Amino acid sequence: MSVEPMKLFFKEIKEPVETAMIGNYAVAGGVTQTDPDVICAFPITPQTQSVEGLSDVVHQGRLKAAFVNVESELAAISYSTAACAAGARTFTATASQGYLLMSEALPMAVGWRVPLTMMISARAFNAPNLSIWNSWEFVITDYGWNCIVSENVQETYDAAILSVMMSDNSLFPTMFVHDGFIISHSVQKLWLIPDEIVRKLTPRKPRHTITTEHPGVWGGIVTPGFFMEGRMGLDMAKKSVLDVMKNSFDEFGKETGRHYNLIETYNLDNSSKTAFITMGSMCGNIISWMTKNKDIGLIKIRAYRPFPYEELQKIVQEHNIEKLIIFEKSDALNNLLPPFSTSIATALYPLKTLFRCFIVGLGGRDVTRDEFSVAKKKMESVNDMKGQLYTYLGVRETKDKIHGVNM
Amino acid sequence: MLTSEHIKEILNDYTINLRFHARGGQGGVTASNLCVEAFYGYGVCQPKFGAERMGSPTESYVRLSANADLVRSNEQVYGPHFVSVLDPSLLTEVDVSAGIPKGGWLIVNTVMNQLTIQDAVKRKDINIATIDATRIALDVLGRNITNTIILGALFRVSHLFTLEELSDAIMKRFKGEVAGKNIQAIKQAIEETCIYDMGIEPDFTVDSKIPWQQVSLGLPGYKDLDKAGVWYCDEDIIPVGSDQVNTGSWGEWEIIWDEETCTSCAQCWFICPDFTTLRKLGDDGKYHMSGIDVFHCKACQNCLNICPVQAISKRAKQGPAACASPEEGGN
Repeated sequence: MSVEPMKLFFKEIKEPVETAMIGNYAVAGGVTQTDPDVICAFPITPQTQSVEGLSDVVHQGRLKAAFVNVESELAAISYSTAACAAGARTFTATASQGYLLMSEALPMAVGWRVPLTMMISARAFNAPNLSIWNSWEFVITDYGWNCIVSENVQETYDAAILSVMMSDNSLFPTMFVHDGFIISHSVQKLWLIPDEIVRKLTPRKPRHTITTEHPGVWGGIVTPGFFMEGRMGLDMAKKSVLDVMKNSFDEFGKETGRHYNLIETYNLDNSSKTAFITMGSMCGNIISWMTKNKDIGLIKIRAYRPFPYEELQKIVQEHNIEKLIIFEKSDALNNLLPPFSTSIATALYPLKTLFRCFIVGLGGRDVTRDEFSVAKKKMESVNDMKGQLYTYLGVRETKDKIHGVNM
Repeated sequence: MLTSEHIKEILNDYTINLRFHARGGQGGVTASNLCVEAFYGYGVCQPKFGAERMGSPTESYVRLSANADLVRSNEQVYGPHFVSVLDPSLLTEVDVSAGIPKGGWLIVNTVMNQLTIQDAVKRKDINIATIDATRIALDVLGRNITNTIILGALFRVSHLFTLEELSDAIMKRFKGEVAGKNIQAIKQAIEETCIYDMGIEPDFTVDSKIPWQQVSLGLPGYKDLDKAGVWYCDEDIIPVGSDQVNTGSWGEWEIIWDEETCTSCAQCWFICPDFTTLRKLGDDGKYHMSGIDVFHCKACQNCLNICPVQAISKRAKQGPAACASPEEGGN
């Protein structure tokens, strides 16, 4: 049985075409166009239809790729890293707990500098209850992968192609993230890029690989005399990655007419000198809400890792932003701030910009104009950085009371 | 009645929201996809997020506007102006009129009349359109798939798209003869739609979302929850979880147990995947079969097949139409 929406990708796409599909199949289509050699993923929950779509494209003979099913996510990332190290263009995908199960092998893709790409459908992990819905589980660990986050189906389709460019150009693995269900299962209109242009954007480049002609020890044990040099080498190499990502965005924009940036801004020169800062699907909600609330701005983080802290400082300074409202879909049981907010706080440290973090939308709870209005109102009375810097928003305290909201 | 000029004017500055109620397999999600594809402006379609099973009640939502920024929102749809119900058995099982603003439209695949529907949904301030889509589907398509036919009725009352736009979307989606038959069925549906206009027009400029609706007040808050998020069985059940889901409505069959023939061998009790075969401790100190939990029985027929004495039989249920093919859902 074939996957209906994938039929578009069975043939060469000759000119830009508008279609409507869910985020997962759009990614499968984008990945098909980048012509991977190996697709390896754990096929069962938590997995997405992107891998199902790709299996169909391979089955139909459109894609000459090895499609490998493995027994767990840990096996998937290990297999993918090795395949990529052997020279194959490799794609894998996961979601939710699957990402956590990959943890052990995630740093090696960075250490070996393999240009692997991975799609993540951001979904909650289980504690204290089981939830399959949207949360940002991907922010809780950071092993040095590049990471771009998409707002809608068009962006996530583009990200499938962009991440191959970024991986190949930076020689660091790249993950691209969309919000689980909200984007992964919503049907939205999008424009597909002709195969010719995708081929032009993602040419094969010579790089270091495992070969028999040039044998070596990959990941061998080292004494304390070597390890730190390896780590610092990685750190130095990471410095130029943001520029590489920027160039990839520029090159992509020139060919397709869709211009992205590390950080995108909306209505920052507003009367309240306040802006929301967030990433992913929530940006769309805020932009719609802003059509009726013109005294507030939005900073949308598109490149989450490496964190574009210099860019953010520049934007905040140039537009004289005094207060930032951070919306984050992960929490901070042990820390002053959750992970995404921590990155922002670090960037803002020299500027002394006031901010508060609002934890919203965990486990798929909708984030609506109610949350935006309350956060905006609460921010008006913030004048210092004292006390707890985050609050939960949209949580029932008791049966008839919402935490922190006077009804 | 709404005119296409009025709708076009509204769409420039506001969104128009739709909701489709169906059962898993009937193509409710496909219908909402077709709306987005047929619409000239910007549109988003969201299924109700979560796992979908064949025969279970499903919902999908559509947000349409000519203003790109308004449709950019990924918020869920709370106030649908047009609600389409593909399966009449859902009228009593699901609150199909939830969130419809005054003057909104309820479009139902049914042979019932307006008054019966008004009683069923307990609303007198909404307009109702009915269409006997099941009959048209069987006549024209040869099988009971009503998702495209209901779009004909939706077109008739909403004017969100033209017949040409809808036909184009269908021809993109289906091939050859299937597409032609679907378009023919839609044309017939446009003719046969019965409209009960209450003379009230919806106010598209007002958003009918109830503040903090998404937080579901009434359920326990974080202060009420026990340690470890556990729901203890001997306390008041928290009204979430599988125990509250009427899985009994999903199946096509009704399972009948005959007490006379039954020997209480309990083979059905062991094989039932949903614990719906009920037993009671008798005076003799042994367990005896006592019936079937129809609220949860999906009629998988495992018990029917395993019963050594044919004490279990089935009969076709009045209600959900026969399901055709599984559709997209979460995993």
